[in-house]
Amino acid sequence: MMLICGTVPIENLPLTLGEAKFEGESLSVNNFKIPCTQGTTAMTGAAFSVTDYLKLDPPQVLIVGDTGRGKGSNSLYEYLIQRLGVLLPDVLVLHYCLPNIALMRSLCESIRRSSKRPIMVADAGSMYGAKAAGLATEFDIFTPDPCEMGFLADPDASHPAYINKHLFEANANEGKVPELVATAYQLKSAPKLLLVKGAVDYIAREGKVIDTVSEPDIPELEAIGGTGDTITGMVSAFVYAGMKLHEAAKICATANRMAGKLAQAEVATKVWQLITQFPVVFEQMKIRG
Amino acid sequence: MEFTLSGDAALTKDRGLVVFKKVEDAIIAEKVLKEANYQVRLVAPPPTFRMGCDLAVEINLVEQLSVERLFSEKGVNYLKVTPLKGGGELLDIVKVTNFKEATMVKAGNMKLTFDDTTGIILNVSGGGCPDIPYLSVSLIGRKLTEAPRPRENGFTLCAMMLDRAFVECLELWRKRAS
Repeated sequence: MMLICGTVPIENLPLTLGEAKFEGESLSVNNFKIPCTQGTTAMTGAAFSVTDYLKLDPPQVLIVGDTGRGKGSNSLYEYLIQRLGVLLPDVLVLHYCLPNIALMRSLCESIRRSSKRPIMVADAGSMYGAKAAGLATEFDIFTPDPCEMGFLADPDASHPAYINKHLFEANANEGKVPELVATAYQLKSAPKLLLVKGAVDYIAREGKVIDTVSEPDIPELEAIGGTGDTITGMVSAFVYAGMKLHEAAKICATANRMAGKLAQAEVATKVWQLITQFPVVFEQMKIRG
Repeated sequence: MEFTLSGDAALTKDRGLVVFKKVEDAIIAEKVLKEANYQVRLVAPPPTFRMGCDLAVEINLVEQLSVERLFSEKGVNYLKVTPLKGGGELLDIVKVTNFKEATMVKAGNMKLTFDDTTGIILNVSGGGCPDIPYLSVSLIGRKLTEAPRPRENGFTLCAMMLDRAFVECLELWRKRAS
């Protein structure tokens, strides 16, 4: 089972575990229809496009409403800590949540005690929490943007808003990403594989860049909320399908760009419009299960 | 009341300190925050953090925006909020990217894009805290001059960065309009 965990911007949505289905502008989970926008829903929609294309079980999601106070985030983590040993996912994806070092520690402890270790992917607030807790090395994949890469390379920062200025300036020149990757790895603030999403996408394993993707070049994608989330969702699903981490990263970095090209992306394009292109892109890339 | 900081270096990493001029301000602040269900505690800050009195309130740093807003609403006096680890300064660098008929402003990990002709917010990207998807929905499609500032409805450091991008967009838009 692939389990995606994160918050959605609907304050009173209760903690919900169920099967996800991408339906264009919205995502359905049990009886709920949730707009497919930036964040956990975009990530889930992209993951669904992969599992649907490969005729695999759809992603299971654990979602909860949270508009920033963290109550939903905390309840989600507490549920996972209690139930992970029963759920036993093959791939565990942690996404938009309020970072919380203590809960991240308890979750990783729960995973260590579990009879099966899942492949672990983190992005967004969960990635911030894992790094701040000193637990990045327990993860298999992080998918930061260049600013977040600077955050991973900063030994002291607990959030990208407080990274050292020279690291932020460095990420303006994306050519510095390999240095940031090496620093983060030395600091034990990086997982096995990093996919740094930017004008050039960098794929790094054990502190070294092993591949880059830069074509097709669609600069508008950076402005569209959720285009990083779609990469994370696709990578997680391809890994669930059995693909190696770095192969999944390369395919998804390329597929995201191709979807932007097919959708003739503009800065006002919505992320769900890109997700609808993924099946066509996978066909063009001749991806087979 | 506790008078020591957490000893575990990793556990202090996401903590911030609110420092005060007077002890009574710190005690009032702790009470106000606890009544609003924030997990905080009174601590004796290390000497390097002391600016006024020798009492501070330890908070979850990511909640800085909502803590400061609550202080403003309740009239709580404080000197500043600072992270327990790191340089102590919020990123204040913004970067501007021009697209065809649109402008994107990046502040830290947040990006906001508006239409050069109408001033309408076209997209919000970046971030990782749970208020960002919510704030995005409340901003996209609205004019910069009519949209609520992210700091009014947000809670987290990501919302703070989004607010920086928003303010820069508004300034650019007003300059061009004039």
